[in-house]
Amino acid sequence: MIQRAPTGRGLRRTTSGTGPVQRHHDGRAAALLVAPAVLGLVLFVYIPIAISVVAGFLDIPISGRGIEPVGLDNFVAVLGDPQVHRATLNTILYSLLTIVPSVVLGLALALALEVVGRGRAVASVLLFLPLTANLVAMAVVFRWIFAAPSGFLNQLLGPIGIGPVAFLGDTDTALVTVALVGAWRSVSFAVVLFLAGLTTIPRSVHEAAAVDGVRGFAKVRLVIAPLLRPTIVLVVVLTAIQSIQVFDTVKVMTDGGPDGATETLFTLIWRIGFSYYNLGEASALTLIVLAALVLVGVLRRRQLLRGGQ
Amino acid sequence: MAKVPPGVVAAWTVLLGAMILAVFPYVWMLRTAFAEDTYVRGMNLIPDRFTLNNFVVAWFDSGMSAAMLNGAIVTSGILILQLATGIPAAYAFAKLRFRGRDALFGIVLASLIIPAQAIAVPLFLGVSTLDLANTHAALILPFATSAFGIFLMRQHMVTIPDALLDAARMDGFGHGRILSNVVIPMSRPAILTFALFSVFGSWNEYLWPLLVARAEAIRTPPLALALLQTDALNTDLGVLAAAAVIVTVPIVVLFIVTRRSFVAGLTGGEVTG
Repeated sequence: MIQRAPTGRGLRRTTSGTGPVQRHHDGRAAALLVAPAVLGLVLFVYIPIAISVVAGFLDIPISGRGIEPVGLDNFVAVLGDPQVHRATLNTILYSLLTIVPSVVLGLALALALEVVGRGRAVASVLLFLPLTANLVAMAVVFRWIFAAPSGFLNQLLGPIGIGPVAFLGDTDTALVTVALVGAWRSVSFAVVLFLAGLTTIPRSVHEAAAVDGVRGFAKVRLVIAPLLRPTIVLVVVLTAIQSIQVFDTVKVMTDGGPDGATETLFTLIWRIGFSYYNLGEASALTLIVLAALVLVGVLRRRQLLRGGQ
Repeated sequence: MAKVPPGVVAAWTVLLGAMILAVFPYVWMLRTAFAEDTYVRGMNLIPDRFTLNNFVVAWFDSGMSAAMLNGAIVTSGILILQLATGIPAAYAFAKLRFRGRDALFGIVLASLIIPAQAIAVPLFLGVSTLDLANTHAALILPFATSAFGIFLMRQHMVTIPDALLDAARMDGFGHGRILSNVVIPMSRPAILTFALFSVFGSWNEYLWPLLVARAEAIRTPPLALALLQTDALNTDLGVLAAAAVIVTVPIVVLFIVTRRSFVAGLTGGEVTG
């Protein structure tokens, strides 16, 4: 890519037709312009991640003295830890519970917004509201909406003979309840992405569908969904990346409880690192999760790079 | 009366349901914050008696005023640093040719995959060793550069015609004046969009302050709110709701005022191309 520069410059010069341009001193200026940003990323992202990688192979006592290399011990311990297995399953389940509604409801709501004429602006502002939500504030609110026995939902369900349900206090319902809050936000994000995706479908496609009499669900299934495949993939990938990293809502609503029922990977890493002060194992688990994220993120990166040209 | 097509009726039914779900937590939060003590745990959407007392207690006695000031300092500090490091870099990546440009840009993009949680532990150790815990610097500096911001602004700056920049150079403009007189004015929409992302992100950040802001005087709004909730035995539900409203109002107002730029950035940055 770097070697491409001379040809690129030649092409640019002919096409723009602005005559000779002096670019030979770009190097030094560019270094100065880029240096603060690169320095920031090196200091606050790359050096820390390098330390994380090294720490994964160390035993780090609380005192900070007597740090010893322990090879793969931390990874072995983490991979054999039932808490980690449970948190992994919880995180996968949580992710599915946010991804599926994001795709289905996100698409449905984006299509509904396309159909309605007047009132669309108001509807979309309200639907986008969860996007910027302060998750701590919302977690606080949702916590007392789902509270037992006298939270809003239980007072609503009581008269029709249901409950009271300990939504957040029961190991069977807690994870689903926390995931509902995750979905509340991720659906909002999906609507925005689907709306953007829908604008890329040319008018002629809609006209052709109308001529052939393809309408309603058949049109969504046969015409729109196949054309929106890239957007669907994007929604799945971005929601997955967000969900794997879930922390704020779980921390505030249940702190991983009851009895580990809502423990996710990042709340567990937090616990191992900052409650048990086992920084070696916390780093090892972080690296394993990071590897999974990179795997998912490769898709996203491809999207970003394509957007870059 | 004009006949409404059945498709539109169905669409509105779905939309109304979703709108209620999207807005309900906000409505319930407001209602609880303004409800008088005895009505806080009731069911009625509009409480029989209103009070502002919860806000007074939350603001003056529960540490929200100090937290809001900290939030403003940290959020604006991060924004200034991210713009100061990001704009020149975005310009260089978009418009200058230099050895290693694409490799460096790759390094910038690659950092997008790394979540904040993954670097929290070593960053925290760094902050402890430098004795920076409980300072604004510890809350601001780790966010000094935004790879996403560089990416977003670069995408926009690429579209500035080279001819314009060449003309500016012929007139003897250096990179500094090209930036301030040509590139920044022409990239205003992208810069604004990124600034919004930055502000929303910093204001809502919870994990990092939870680690490094242990002292009461340095708490950010989400942190102060979360601690208030942990202390719920001593905190009135109405006060907690009022505190949640205080944390939420600035971002909701900012979102409603700027929603077009925000949504444009969200879709432009991710989907197009």
